[in-house]
Amino acid sequence: MSRYLSNSVSSRSFVGCVVLVLLVSSFVGCTTKAKFSENAVYILKQERDLNVEISPQQRRDIAEVLAGMFGTPDKPNVPKLGGIDIANVLDATQLHVASGPVSSDERGRARGLYREHCAHCHGVTGDGAGPTAAFLNPYPRDYRMGVFKFKSTPKAGKPTHEDLRDILANGIPGTAMPSFKVLPNNEIEALISYVRYLSIRGEVERELAYLTADLVEGERLLDVTGSREDRSEQAASIRETAARVVQKWVDAESQATPIEAPDPERDLVASIKHGRELFYGPIANCVKCHGDSALGDGQKTDYDDWTKELEPINEEALEQFLGLGNFVLPPRNIHPRNLRQGVYRGGRRPIDLYRRIHNGIDGTPMPATLVIGDDAAAGTKGLTKDDIWSLVDYVRNLPYESISLPPVIEQGYQRERL
Amino acid sequence: MLLVCATFPLIWVGGLVTTYDAGMAVPDWPSTYGYNLFAYPWQTWLFGPWDLLIEHGHRLLGALVGFIAITFVWSVWRNDQRFGVRVAALAALGLVIIQGGLGGARVLFDERQLAMVHGCVGPAFFAYCIALAVFTSGKWKPVEDDLASANLPRLQRISLLTVVFAYLQLVIGAQLRHISVMATPGFFRGAALFHLVMAAVVTIHVFQLLFLAKQQNASVAALRFPTTLLAALVLIQLALGGATWVVKYGWPEFLAQHTFAAPYTIQAKSLFQSLIVTSHVATGSLILATSVMAFARSVRLNRVPTVALGSSALMMELAT
Repeated sequence: MSRYLSNSVSSRSFVGCVVLVLLVSSFVGCTTKAKFSENAVYILKQERDLNVEISPQQRRDIAEVLAGMFGTPDKPNVPKLGGIDIANVLDATQLHVASGPVSSDERGRARGLYREHCAHCHGVTGDGAGPTAAFLNPYPRDYRMGVFKFKSTPKAGKPTHEDLRDILANGIPGTAMPSFKVLPNNEIEALISYVRYLSIRGEVERELAYLTADLVEGERLLDVTGSREDRSEQAASIRETAARVVQKWVDAESQATPIEAPDPERDLVASIKHGRELFYGPIANCVKCHGDSALGDGQKTDYDDWTKELEPINEEALEQFLGLGNFVLPPRNIHPRNLRQGVYRGGRRPIDLYRRIHNGIDGTPMPATLVIGDDAAAGTKGLTKDDIWSLVDYVRNLPYESISLPPVIEQGYQRERL
Repeated sequence: MLLVCATFPLIWVGGLVTTYDAGMAVPDWPSTYGYNLFAYPWQTWLFGPWDLLIEHGHRLLGALVGFIAITFVWSVWRNDQRFGVRVAALAALGLVIIQGGLGGARVLFDERQLAMVHGCVGPAFFAYCIALAVFTSGKWKPVEDDLASANLPRLQRISLLTVVFAYLQLVIGAQLRHISVMATPGFFRGAALFHLVMAAVVTIHVFQLLFLAKQQNASVAALRFPTTLLAALVLIQLALGGATWVVKYGWPEFLAQHTFAAPYTIQAKSLFQSLIVTSHVATGSLILATSVMAFARSVRLNRVPTVALGSSALMMELAT
C-alpha cells in the first residue's frame, strides 16, 4: 500500500509517530508478580525518631518473619498464636478465596477477589498506594496502621465485622470507595477477612519495625544462626507481639458502643435548638472545624494520621519521605465535612451520626465526646447522651436550615471571635 | 463486510470479559473445561455463571470470525486473481489466528499483559477488516473531474496521523484498563495524563479532517461520511471517557464538592458501570476503524488521477 501513500506524508510526521509508538511501548511489559512491599515510611520514621539505622539485614529479617507468619499474596497464611482463637478474625478458607490472581470456576466460585475489586486502589499490601491512588481524594485507606474511620467501636478500637461489612456493602459517598452490593454474601465475607488479614499483617510489621529499631547494632529480630534457646525466645516474643495485635480485633466484636434510642416523644424543635447551642458552644465546639455556617470551612489545614506520619509541616522530613518513591503520596489536608449537604461518609442514619459524634472518627481530627451521665453536676464538662441526640437532630436539620437565620437568633449563638 | 459485522460484537464481548474480569472464567484453552469448544453443553453455558457466559461466548464468537475469515480467503481465491487481494485476505486470516493464539496464551499463562496485547490486536484486526472492505469495494468510484482542486494530500496525511493517534490512544487506554496491581501510582498517573493528552490530539485531528473534508467538492463526498461519523464518535467518546472515570472512580476533585456530586456512591460491577466502561472501549475501536476508513478512501482517491487521467480525461483531451 505504501506506493499509494502521498509523498506529502512527511518524514517528520513518521518520525513523530515512531517516537510515540516507542513511548507507548515502553509502558508495555511492566508486569510484576504480586508481592508484599515493606512499610518503608514507617521504617524511616523509626530511624528518624530514634536516630538509628535499620540495616538491610534487619529489614530482610522483618520481611522473612512476616512471610513465615502471614505467607504471600498468592498463598496467605493464618499465623498460629497460641491462646488466641484467631479463626474468629481470620478464616483461612475465605483468605484463600480473596487472595491470588483473579479467576472463577464452572460453578461461578471466584478467587482473587481482593485483586479484582480492591488492589488497584488499596495496593496489594493494603498500603493505600495502588496504581490509581494518586488521583483519588481522599487517598485510599492504608490498612497497615490498623486504623479505620467509620465503625461502631470507641476511638482507637478496631472495627467490628459488621462495620467492615457496612462499608463494603454501602460504599462511601463522595469518594472512590464503591458499594459492592452486587457481590454475593460469601464474596463480601472473603473480602472482610482479607482486609483484616492485611491490616493485622501491616500492624505486626509496624510492631516488628519498632522492635527492630530498639535492637542494638548488629542484633537481629530472629537470628537463625543463634542458639536454640535464643531463637525460641525471639520467636515467642514475635508471636506475643502478633497476638497483642490480633487480640484487639477479637475484642472489637464486643466493643460496639451501646446506643439507647432517643425518646420518640421528644420535642424535636427544642432538641434541634439545643443541638444548635451545643454546636456553637464551648464543649462540643463543632463550629471550630465545621465552620460558622457548617460548610466545613472552619479549618482546612489539618492532616489525617496517615499523612502526619510524613511530618508534612517539616519540609526536610517530608522531602525525605517523598524521596522513598512515588508510592508515597504527597500530603493533602483533611477537610471537615460540609454538613449542609446532608452527605455523611460513614452513613446517614441517625445511629451513624450518633456514633460519629460519640466515638469521633479515628485517624482524623474529629474527636470523641466525653460522655457524662444525665445526673452529672451542672458545669461538668462533657455531653450527655441526650445532648448527643440533640446534636444529631441539629446536624440532620442543617441541610434544611437557612444559612442566614434572622439576626436576633444568629447573634444569640454566634461563637466568640478572637 | 460480513467480517466487519462479526468482529464488532466480538470486540464488545471481549470488552465485557475485561470489564467483569472474566478472562480466567475458563481455565483451559482451546478446550472449555475439557470439552471441545463447540461441544460444551449449551445449558451450562447459557444458564451458568455470568463470567462463564461471556468468556465462552467470546471464544465462540472468535471461532465464528475465524470461520468467516476462512470463507473470505476461499472466496477471494476463487473469484479474485489479484495477488495483492489474495495476500490481504490471507493476512486477515493470519491476524485472526494470531489473535486467537494471544487469547489462548493469556488464559494458559494467566497473564494480564497478554490480555492487554490481545485487547490491542482486536481493534487492529477490526480496522484491518474495514480497510479491506474499502479497498475491495466495487461500488464506490471517485469522480476525477474535481480532484485537481481537492486538497487530498493534506487530507491523506491528517487521516493517517489520525489512525496512528487513535491507535496509540487505544493502546494507552488498554494499559490503564489492564494495569498491573503492582504498578506504582506514578505509572498510572502518567498513563492517565497521556490518555488525556492523546484524547485532545485525536480530537483536534478528527475535527481538522472534518473541516478539510467539508472543503472538498462533491466528488469526494465519500470522505464526508467517515469524517462526519468520526467527529460524532469522538464527541461520544469524550463523554463516555468522562463517564467512565465517574462510574469507576467518582467525580473528579474539582467537582466532588458540588451538591450534585457529593452524594454519589460508585456501584461496583453494576450493569450501568459495565455498559459505560465497555462502550468506551468499543467506541475506541470504532474511532480507529472509521479513521482507517477515511484514510483508505483518501488513499484510493489519491491513486485515481494516474488511472483516471490516462483512461478518460486525458484521452478525451487528446481526442478533441
